[in-house]
Amino acid sequence: MSDFLRDYLTVVWFGLAALVLGSLLLGLAALVRPVKPNASKLIAYESGVDPVGIGWSQSQIRYYVFALLFVIFDVEAVFIFPWAASIERYGTFGLVVMLAFIVLLLDGLLYAWKRGLLRWV
Amino acid sequence: MQLVVFVIASLMVLVGAVGVVLRRHPVHAALSLVLTLFGVAVHFVAQEAHFLAAVQVIVYAGAIVVLFLFVIMLLGVDSADDLRIERLPIQRPLAAVMGVGIVGLLIAAVVATRGSEPLQAGAGINVAGVGIDDAVAGHDANITQLAGNLFADYVFAFELTSVLLIVAVAGTVVLTRREKPPSEEDAP
Amino acid sequence: MIGLVAQVGDWPTPVVDWHALAPELVLIAGINLVLATDLLLEEGRKWATATLTGFVLLGAFVPVVTLAVIGGDVRALFDGRYVIDDFALILKALFLLTGYVVVLMSQTELEEGGYYQGEFYVLLLCSVLGMVMMTSSRDLVSVFIALELLSIPAYMLAAWRKRDRKSNEAGVKFYLLGVFASAVLLYGMSLLYGATGSTRFDEIAASLASGDLIGLQIVGITFVIAGFAFKVSAVPFHTWAPDTYEGAPTPVTAFLSVASKAAGFVALVLVIFTAFPTADGVYGPLVWVLAALTMTVGNVIALRQTNIVRMLAYSSVSQGGFILMPLAFVNSGDAAEPALKAVVVYLLVYGFTNLGAFAVVIAVARKTRSGAITSFGGLISYAPGLTVLMTLFLASLAGIPPLGGWIAKFNAFKAVLDAGSGSGYALAVVGAVNTAIAAAYYLRVMREMWMNDPPDGDRAPIVTPAPVATALGITAAGTVVLGIVPGLVLRFADLQDLTGALGG
Repeated sequence: MSDFLRDYLTVVWFGLAALVLGSLLLGLAALVRPVKPNASKLIAYESGVDPVGIGWSQSQIRYYVFALLFVIFDVEAVFIFPWAASIERYGTFGLVVMLAFIVLLLDGLLYAWKRGLLRWV
Repeated sequence: MQLVVFVIASLMVLVGAVGVVLRRHPVHAALSLVLTLFGVAVHFVAQEAHFLAAVQVIVYAGAIVVLFLFVIMLLGVDSADDLRIERLPIQRPLAAVMGVGIVGLLIAAVVATRGSEPLQAGAGINVAGVGIDDAVAGHDANITQLAGNLFADYVFAFELTSVLLIVAVAGTVVLTRREKPPSEEDAP
Repeated sequence: MIGLVAQVGDWPTPVVDWHALAPELVLIAGINLVLATDLLLEEGRKWATATLTGFVLLGAFVPVVTLAVIGGDVRALFDGRYVIDDFALILKALFLLTGYVVVLMSQTELEEGGYYQGEFYVLLLCSVLGMVMMTSSRDLVSVFIALELLSIPAYMLAAWRKRDRKSNEAGVKFYLLGVFASAVLLYGMSLLYGATGSTRFDEIAASLASGDLIGLQIVGITFVIAGFAFKVSAVPFHTWAPDTYEGAPTPVTAFLSVASKAAGFVALVLVIFTAFPTADGVYGPLVWVLAALTMTVGNVIALRQTNIVRMLAYSSVSQGGFILMPLAFVNSGDAAEPALKAVVVYLLVYGFTNLGAFAVVIAVARKTRSGAITSFGGLISYAPGLTVLMTLFLASLAGIPPLGGWIAKFNAFKAVLDAGSGSGYALAVVGAVNTAIAAAYYLRVMREMWMNDPPDGDRAPIVTPAPVATALGITAAGTVVLGIVPGLVLRFADLQDLTGALGG
């Protein structure tokens, strides 16, 4: 096994710890607590309000708009990262290229903003 | 150990992929996709391409699947079409035959390729950082190489991706904006 | 690997030939300009964006002309990944001109329909940018980005009439099948990259030529060709085309059937001529079958259409078969040179002619408000100009001399026969039979226009808006001029340039 993979073993341990800890606590609780279900106890709790309809209701398109804008700038971040990691290596050319990229995206954002896409009605 | 990682990651990918196809509930299918994407990320890690693994998780599992979920919720989960109705009866067997055929073709291609000739090593990105001088080696090696490629060989394609993202914004404006006369908006 | 190490150590700044990139840069600047102008303009003055878009396209045309006039060596940028040669220039010119004509055609329609004008032109420019980029791409990554850049705006343009069910259907079908095709293409590309170790076409070609083809390479090549076959709506990947063409706004249909299709052919030409020229054992039979099927199926279904747009859609499917025909014989005999010439000439002629036919349809439908072929009845009695032009375009599509379509078909057949093989003669026979079938439905429209009476007896003259008239003028001139002096463009289809620049 390479060193590289060994680094990631920590991630595995961490995940396992979370899994064990969670199931341990819930399992313990399940063992000690009394279980006496009835109909009104089993309905989903919504701050004391009786739930209406099903949970899978149709959501609004504005969530989608924000998710899409998020994806766009997520992708931008992914491109900026390798450039930022050793910025001086790419010199002026890298700077110009990156600025052009960002300006083009900002143009898009400005447009979305002016068109009222960012307003949460 | 490499083998163990490979098997686990491949299982994640395959189970996730099968889940995407077989789960009835679209939200569950989308979540199965997350499993697949994580599996691919683990594969990237095993190939020592940790930047790609991170990007895989951040962009695909983090952003794209969220977008999928919003679209699914937008369409309304309960209004999904009943897939049992078949327009063309021959469609499904035909699709199965085609699918099996393509899988068979690929397996045959891989098996036939194994013995004939070693595949050329990718001249693109040297993810392991082998043979790179110390100034840029180490953990940054494959980020540096990625950037080197991105800003030299593929710089024009890279710039045009930003135009592609503008297309996405303009398209969203068109698709989501209300029609000009608000009176017509009420009709669904 | 040695080169790679040096590259990582000290990073060489790429040398950018700004003149060579000028058409693309003008378009990028133009996209932003139109976007910004659209924000600033008042509702009633949106027509200005159309004018601006026209100027942007003409502005991008200027560097194409200067590059062609200066000529000289092939300009290769980014390590041979982006190449400006004669082939790229003539097709860049075609795409820019097509974009311009489509702007002219859509202007009135958009103004009267109250659609979002600014966004329409922005997306149109983005699509044209993708096509312009496609002509110069000599690398899998660039080709893919170009393909997405030209397709994604097109999906939205097809669904532009948001409240119209057919338009929505057009967009959704086009989108789903287009995305599926992209996935197939991408899969093929990833296999090719894995099996050859490079994304550059010349290196892929060298790798493929270095030994017998291995299984993965064959599958990769097949998938890449299949992916582009969707784009050019070759049978059996054509099913989206008629519904999309019918539902989309007519100017968009013209754009899709000419520019988008031509871009797919450009990509096919590039991969076949520069990336896998030696793999003719794989693509040869594949393209042969696609060409024969595309011509035949497109024609037979076109015969039965009653809607003019659907008829033109199937006719454009079958025309695609003729363009595919020479591509099956790129590596056999001396057919490579005539094949390239045939494809380039055919694309140009087809572009002008089909755009013109759609422009006439737009002009006529403004009055008749109908898409039926019978609505062209008696057109000669109240719109003689349009009738003559439509006859011209249909005759060119049918391949009647001395119009452009004749030269195009002549070159395509010549290329196939030059291959000198049995399969070449067989395909030529299929093509000849199809030319005869195609003439039948083109003549039917002509007969309708010249012989029949108007279906509703209405003989009020048609008022053709100035922009549409300009579009008609440009396309008619192109159709006639290319038929009489094809030598004008033939010099741009230089095989040595296309492959020579990459062979070294």
